[in-house]
Amino acid sequence: MKNMLQQIFRSSKFLIGFTIFMTMLLTVIIYPLIVKDEPLAIIGQGTFFEPGIYVNVFDSINSTHYTLSLNDAAARRIASKLGDQERLDMKDWLLAFGIPENEIDIHDNTKLMELWVNNYDSKLALGMTSAKRNYYARLDKSLKGILGTEGVIIAIKNTETGLLEETNSIVQTDYVNIGQVSSIRILPLGTDNFGRDILTELVSATRTSLQIGFVAGIIATLIGLTLGLFAGYIGGLVDDVIMFITNLFTVIPGFVLLILISFSIGQEQRGAITVAVVIGFTSWVWTARAVRSQVVSLRNRDHVNLSKLSGHSIVHIILADILPYIASYVIMALILQISSGILAEAGLSILGLGPKTTEVPTLGLMMNWAMIYSAHVTGKWWAYIPVLVTIAMVSFSMNLMNTGLDQVFNPALRD
Amino acid sequence: MSNVMLEVRELTTKYVTRFGEDIYAVDHVSLKVEEGKTLGIAGESGCGKSTLALSLMGYYFAPLHYTSGEIIIDGRNISGMNPNDVRKSILGKEIAYIPQAAMNALNPTRKIIHFIEDVIKEHELYITKKDIYDRARKLFETLGLSADVLQKYPVELSGGMKQRTVIAISVLLLPKVLIADEPSSALDVTSQKMVIKMLRKLMETGLISSLIFITHELPLLYNVADDIMVMYAGQIVEHGNAKQTVFDPIHPYAKGLMGSIIVPEKGLRDVKLTAIPGVPPNLKNPPSGCRFAERCKYVQPECKTHSINLNEVDGGRAYRCIFSEEKLREAYQNG
Amino acid sequence: MKGYQEYFLRKLGWFLITFVFAFLLNFILPRMMPGDPVAVITQRVTQGMTSQTGVAKIYQEYSELFGTNKPMLEQFFLYVKNVSQGNFGISFSQYPRPVAEIIKSSIWWTVCLQFPAIIVGWLIGNTLGALAAYLKGGFDKVIMPVSIFVSNFPAFGMAIIMVVIFATTLKWFPISGGYGFDQIPNMSWTFVWSVIVHYQLPFWSIVLISIGGQAIGMRSMSIYELNADYVKYSRFLGINDRKIVGYVFRNAMLPQVTGLALSIGTMVGGALVAEIIFSYPGLGNTILKAVVGQDYPLISGVTLIITLMVLSANFIIEIIYGIIDPRIKATQAD
Repeated sequence: MKNMLQQIFRSSKFLIGFTIFMTMLLTVIIYPLIVKDEPLAIIGQGTFFEPGIYVNVFDSINSTHYTLSLNDAAARRIASKLGDQERLDMKDWLLAFGIPENEIDIHDNTKLMELWVNNYDSKLALGMTSAKRNYYARLDKSLKGILGTEGVIIAIKNTETGLLEETNSIVQTDYVNIGQVSSIRILPLGTDNFGRDILTELVSATRTSLQIGFVAGIIATLIGLTLGLFAGYIGGLVDDVIMFITNLFTVIPGFVLLILISFSIGQEQRGAITVAVVIGFTSWVWTARAVRSQVVSLRNRDHVNLSKLSGHSIVHIILADILPYIASYVIMALILQISSGILAEAGLSILGLGPKTTEVPTLGLMMNWAMIYSAHVTGKWWAYIPVLVTIAMVSFSMNLMNTGLDQVFNPALRD
Repeated sequence: MSNVMLEVRELTTKYVTRFGEDIYAVDHVSLKVEEGKTLGIAGESGCGKSTLALSLMGYYFAPLHYTSGEIIIDGRNISGMNPNDVRKSILGKEIAYIPQAAMNALNPTRKIIHFIEDVIKEHELYITKKDIYDRARKLFETLGLSADVLQKYPVELSGGMKQRTVIAISVLLLPKVLIADEPSSALDVTSQKMVIKMLRKLMETGLISSLIFITHELPLLYNVADDIMVMYAGQIVEHGNAKQTVFDPIHPYAKGLMGSIIVPEKGLRDVKLTAIPGVPPNLKNPPSGCRFAERCKYVQPECKTHSINLNEVDGGRAYRCIFSEEKLREAYQNG
Repeated sequence: MKGYQEYFLRKLGWFLITFVFAFLLNFILPRMMPGDPVAVITQRVTQGMTSQTGVAKIYQEYSELFGTNKPMLEQFFLYVKNVSQGNFGISFSQYPRPVAEIIKSSIWWTVCLQFPAIIVGWLIGNTLGALAAYLKGGFDKVIMPVSIFVSNFPAFGMAIIMVVIFATTLKWFPISGGYGFDQIPNMSWTFVWSVIVHYQLPFWSIVLISIGGQAIGMRSMSIYELNADYVKYSRFLGINDRKIVGYVFRNAMLPQVTGLALSIGTMVGGALVAEIIFSYPGLGNTILKAVVGQDYPLISGVTLIITLMVLSANFIIEIIYGIIDPRIKATQAD
């Protein structure tokens, strides 16, 4: 036993898979201890906030201001305002104005701005439509705004007189120390379509999906194992009947049953665990087949015959003389079942047949929401890429463990 | 002295594991087989006898690699030859092989006759299917096999039938030397007998000139072989004629091996059954001295440090031990 | 030939049995819904409907269609009769279109997308797996981890990645649909071209998903076969390596064909979800619409059709297998 464990952990594939999986499992356990937010709490008023550090503007105005003279501050400000489209549009205008193309470098902010400021004249038509001309006028205005050196005045409204009273002013060289701003929220993965913190949601979803996977996997493995053991060991009519059923469910697509059952249960009754149970009950077929063929090859081994001759009961023989020999196999099947259970939930959720949405997020539901709100079309990558990566990592790590185990148990596959 | 059909000089081959380690499974083996003779090779499993069988073919593929030595078949040295030439002009034609597990030796999805076509066309370019069929049918009938077998798939044949078919295919091209690696060990007794009878017939009818017969079943070996070679850990430890080697072994390992088997032969029936304790050494790091030293009853300190040569003695016998023949016999006398 | 006939009849019998069984499940499962299924369905459909007579009419219509007021056996025969006439009822969500018509308009999109894609993926996957087993070394070291990763990647994930890379970022292909939204299905070149362009992303994402698993399976089968005794024996008879490799891959491929028959159901399931990502006008989206619209007759009809599709594909593969594996004819001959 010890020797086998050693061998398993020497397999690099198993080790990589195991490390990835344990890292995720630990994250899922530890993260909620540190961040105690509700996973489905709506914090953002709006959809799909980009990942980043959100600093409270009100608090930062009222924090101590420090003056830092940094040379590149202005250039950075311009760069952040100048999108790729604006640069191209500026080039178009400059070309129309008559600047030779080789003098325009749209990647050099300072030069481009210099050319623009020196040449742009809103009165020139240059054969453009009026909409286009208006667009350039607006662009020019916003660019000039960036270039300005004026500060900003903070004023509050006097409730009695209704007049604005200056309380503070901010100049371009003012900085606040982020540590002194009282309210900051880090959203490493931004928010989703409902304005919920994706990271917190993702961790919670991963936990639920793992639970679904485990429940589904254990149910499927138990059913498959029991049927496989009985069919393989008892043989005869029992074998025929069980194999008939197994073969039926092998060809009748499991997801069709899954859809029918999930739909029949109805939205209201579908909790995460119900979904897991349904998945478990529709995916035992492979385990049953595999276990049966293993048991058939074991059935007539000497130690089993000896046990039979000693008058042990069927249960005893199965538990003591057969189960230990197929244990490695069953564990491998379980791992695969868990990972396919997680994928099955995701698929169901995308079809709109996932668990009830108000209680807990699952990986599939997060995917479903992102798809409904077209996050993949509008470029809100943070809404679905982390979910996809998580699903892929769970599945990949488990299959890697499985491949590692397979190589330890079936040496022929080694090279 | 009759014609030497196969001569092997100091042949060494190794396995290269996937970690890049070398395992010398055949270590400086020399042997000679004369025309019309059968050489038997004996040893425990893992002693290198199957590897020797593969190595004798002169055609190597991973993980087995040729290291040094010469193989001379009917006066023709094949060791320096280009592997492709060996494949075309030696394999099957000069020297042929019957694998250990003949049960799975045939491609399950190819009819026997089609496989035979593949084999013959590889060696004879201009031959029609009909000629191939006629030749195969004649051979099969000579060997007492029905020509119907040719039109069948391997799954349709019984174990013994499959084994005999494999033997027939192996001698299709009339090789001079046939190497049979445990050809009968997986069969029931009746099939075993038929296989042995068939091998004898091959020799009698002159379809092959010499036979190398590898087995761990000594009684069988004694019945079939003229000479016997005992292998241990990749080396020959004893070599001599069959009768002497079985009834009067010199080397302590050969002695132990002969003692470990129930031989239903007259005179051997009373021999006390003993097993050799221990297992063969790991050939990744073979012991520097005598390889049998760890398990030898008569071991001396110098056994483990001196490399031991094969000592030739009268009657064409040889053994690999630090002691003289007399000393060993004395030791056996004293138990 | 007798052996093959026997094999064919056995497979045909099996196909019929499984179909009957699937049909039964399709009949029984919804009837195991708690309460009166028609009442539940009617309630779902009529949510927001104010006209009481309308609700009563729908209730009556479905009571009649399902025959819930009749005994179970009679209900079953009614169902059989309706389905055999191609009558799956009227869709709730796309009222008053009949379910059969909705299925008819989407099934060919799915058939023409999925089966070619699965076959191409199977072919490419097997080739890669065979090469990985034969060439070993660097090729194997690259192909294998990639295959393991890809085969564990959910189908919809692959679809999304394809959309993001090739549609939204590179803009090489359209994001969704089966043809341009400004097109009306007809036989003009612009329409056909539009269909071809829209076909690429869904097609290749299904191909990619199928490749991984097939490559892994083929690799292990090939390694197993390469180490088989007949390889060594054939080599020692002087047969050239090319021919031996031919033996090996033919033999390794046979279990892969059976494997395809067994896994085609799962593959179709994954591909249906992928269709949804592309809003492809096939059965995947029909299921989604049915689920969203709580459209019971449509779900029931679509699942039955998909089952029939998968069972037929499975049957066809088994029949082909019987032809390409010579042992089938031989072993049952006498």
